[in-house]
Amino acid sequence: MLPMMLKMRIVGESGKRFRLFFPVILVWIVLFALLLAILPLVLLAAILTCPWGPGFRLLLIYPLLFAVLFNLSGLHIDVQNARQVVYLKFT
Amino acid sequence: MSEERKKILEMLAAGKITVEESEKLLAAISAPEKETSTTEPAARPPFKYLRVVVEPGPGSETQERVNIRVPYKLIRAGLKWASFIPKDAQDKVCETLQEKGINFDFNRIKPEDIEELVSQLNDLTVEVEGKEKVRIFCET
Repeated sequence: MLPMMLKMRIVGESGKRFRLFFPVILVWIVLFALLLAILPLVLLAAILTCPWGPGFRLLLIYPLLFAVLFNLSGLHIDVQNARQVVYLKFT
Repeated sequence: MSEERKKILEMLAAGKITVEESEKLLAAISAPEKETSTTEPAARPPFKYLRVVVEPGPGSETQERVNIRVPYKLIRAGLKWASFIPKDAQDKVCETLQEKGINFDFNRIKPEDIEELVSQLNDLTVEVEGKEKVRIFCET
């Protein structure tokens, strides 16, 4: 399932704190619109690079990107030492 | 003792059936049990998450802690991006590995191999204990 929320917490060495509880769904909406907008360009690039380059393999970017985005849910990264913290969670 | 076995023995004791008949009946009811016992154990479901946990050990000066949980499907999806690694880059990696004495050819790895490799991660458990305790395991 597409993750809806991103919970982020960063504590820097200087003690600066950054906390974010972000509805990441908004990013996906913008991203999907952007992907749709650039689709003709990707198609053109695929046709032009067909004889020597990646060709129609370029179109694989879409399903592969969706596969990554749709499976981000549950990703949890928590790294900390005595002074610094990096916490990231997609839900 | 199962109920069927008991009944057969009771019938034999009562003289309702002969020894041969009871033997046949006992063999017949034990056959399905043997069949089920010889079948392979059911395949374990694929794991849900790959966990990497690093905790400070007893003699550790740093208080570094790492707790990473990566969904299995994300690993699979991520590995598919490997097809976008340019051929030149793959060749360079292979050359460098061979210089280091590792005879490994990326070009021989097929997507099916990667799929199988990832699906077999189920049994992976790595535990390293030193200054820091490192554990890599799969979570269902």
